[in-house]
Amino acid sequence: MDFDLLITAMGQIFSPWPFFLLFIGTTLGIVVGAIPGMTGAMLIALTLPLTFYMDPFNAIILLISMYVGAISGGLITATLLRMPGTPAAVMTTFDGYPMARGGRPGRALGLGITASFVGGLISWITLATITKPLSIIATRFGPFEYFTLIMMAMVLIASVSEGTLAKGLISGLLGMLISMPGVDPATGMPRLTFDWYMLNGGLKLLPVLIGVFAVSQIIKDSLDIGKIPERIAMSSKGMLMSLRDFINQGVNLIRSSLIGTWVGILPGIGASIGSIIAYTAAKNMSKTPEKFGTGSEEGIVASEAANNATVGGALIPLIAMGIPGSVIDAILIGALMIHSIQPGPTLFLTNADIVWGMIAACLIANILMWVLMTSSVKYIAGLMYLPRSFVLPVVMVFCLIGSYALNNTMFDVWVMLIFGVLGFLMECAKIPLGPFVIGFVLAPLAEEKLRSGLMMTAGDFSPIFTRPLPLIFSILSVLLLFWPIVGDWLRSRKASGKQESK
Amino acid sequence: MNSLQRFEVWVSVLMMLICAVFLWESWDLPPGTFEPLGSGPVPKATAFVIILCCIWVIITALKISPATEEMESDEEGLSISAGVLIFFTTVLYTVFLQFRVMPFSWMTTLFLFFTIWGLEQFSRKKLLPALLTGVIIGFATEYLFTEVFIVDLPTWSE
Repeated sequence: MDFDLLITAMGQIFSPWPFFLLFIGTTLGIVVGAIPGMTGAMLIALTLPLTFYMDPFNAIILLISMYVGAISGGLITATLLRMPGTPAAVMTTFDGYPMARGGRPGRALGLGITASFVGGLISWITLATITKPLSIIATRFGPFEYFTLIMMAMVLIASVSEGTLAKGLISGLLGMLISMPGVDPATGMPRLTFDWYMLNGGLKLLPVLIGVFAVSQIIKDSLDIGKIPERIAMSSKGMLMSLRDFINQGVNLIRSSLIGTWVGILPGIGASIGSIIAYTAAKNMSKTPEKFGTGSEEGIVASEAANNATVGGALIPLIAMGIPGSVIDAILIGALMIHSIQPGPTLFLTNADIVWGMIAACLIANILMWVLMTSSVKYIAGLMYLPRSFVLPVVMVFCLIGSYALNNTMFDVWVMLIFGVLGFLMECAKIPLGPFVIGFVLAPLAEEKLRSGLMMTAGDFSPIFTRPLPLIFSILSVLLLFWPIVGDWLRSRKASGKQESK
Repeated sequence: MNSLQRFEVWVSVLMMLICAVFLWESWDLPPGTFEPLGSGPVPKATAFVIILCCIWVIITALKISPATEEMESDEEGLSISAGVLIFFTTVLYTVFLQFRVMPFSWMTTLFLFFTIWGLEQFSRKKLLPALLTGVIIGFATEYLFTEVFIVDLPTWSE
């Protein structure tokens, strides 16, 4: 680890303007995370246009702090409303809400906040130590290694997303297809433009992203506008964890944080899966598994430590290989590209200040998150009850301005609206949106690598099967692709066997 | 067939149509000259696999017995009119912005006022808060994006 560069980056963050941005980012992230229906992805997508005018270092600090804040803020609504503020907090609802209803909302939130902090801290240590060695390994990757790695990431995202494997694949591949109109990356000639000059530059990430994540969410939330959440009286009692709590929860905290970090590192999976696995592991290893789902402290700690740990974990493949560890990381890749920074293994060489800025911001935002949430969670909780009829149209105005500001053209606004409707329809059919965005971001890279690899081998595909890493990635992709089908078949066979024996 | 299955079928059909359009367009792309693959095969293969997956989803949706009761309980209390209202006022607002019929601040004020008041079911009590929110956000966003972020917002021009 380059301590001197890390310390320099920290020093830069502690200068007035970057620190102000970090503070604003973390606060906004927590607030948005605490408002049901608004997600971190939505906030970051809407903030992206504002960062066009910023120095790349400041822009990335703002976005990273929002990421950390939003993942943490989700626990407030999960605990007080049984409504996860962000999808990552869904497991927290199982124990946070019963504990809050049982008269201990402060305790539930306090456990969640400190677990989030510890999870973030453990994943940050991993981020700071293994990213650079991993990026050195990744510089040795050839085009076929990259292509098969991206394909494996896509299959992995599709297979672990909500819904069936087929739906995950539809979403990811549709994202890839939608990214293809525009200039061909290899020949430089326009393709799939339908003879329409507006498509010569292709569909831009930002309007597609705002449409799929923000507009579709606004339409979806407006359908629930009549539902009035039940209020729980908020108290700060028991907010801070004692030394005994740390001793009791120590193993759970470390295990859940490591699970979250590992899941974060796996390309494209994200915080929700991390918290589900950590929660299940905590329940399986608990002395009192029967308490899970009724207000278990272990459940809250496992879920929150893991979902925050995915933040640092997910930044590892982004920085080391240019592959997003989650949907928000896909947006961060877009942010880097907007500032003419190419994410990937050479990032440490070309933009070391940005990389260490990201790593330092992750740590400082995590500490700031803990301070802000323990001191003002009572006031932030009040924001959950803001009337949606007022919030949603205002957010829609920001969506429109955000899409328009990219190129100052109304074409991007129409693109945003069309993808908003498409995203809403996909949600109605339970087709996950995460793979769509990751497919959209990764497709140009995958195609470029495949075609440059084929140029090197004069059209020969055999290196995919003869070189060790592409072969491993391909085998893993096939296993991931067929595992859900084989699993279903085995389960149905087992069930029919049981019926026959009866 | 329950509503989820209906959605699965219709959305899959829509996806297949989108892919068919892409397949049609990619058919005429010339083969590669200095590189072996060319522009066409990747979009063609992607569209083809999506179509296959959509067919799989449709077959599965038609095969599974409907869990009608479960779906109906999911849909309780949904306000379809609110979704329709917010979408159509947004489309109208975008059309107004496209043709620059009014200053940006006025268009935003009107959009926010009508949408908020509509979502509040045109309740008399909410008339003033909706109007105030519209005016404040309308003028504040115009100031913020033209003076601070220097965005050339679509606005009325003679």
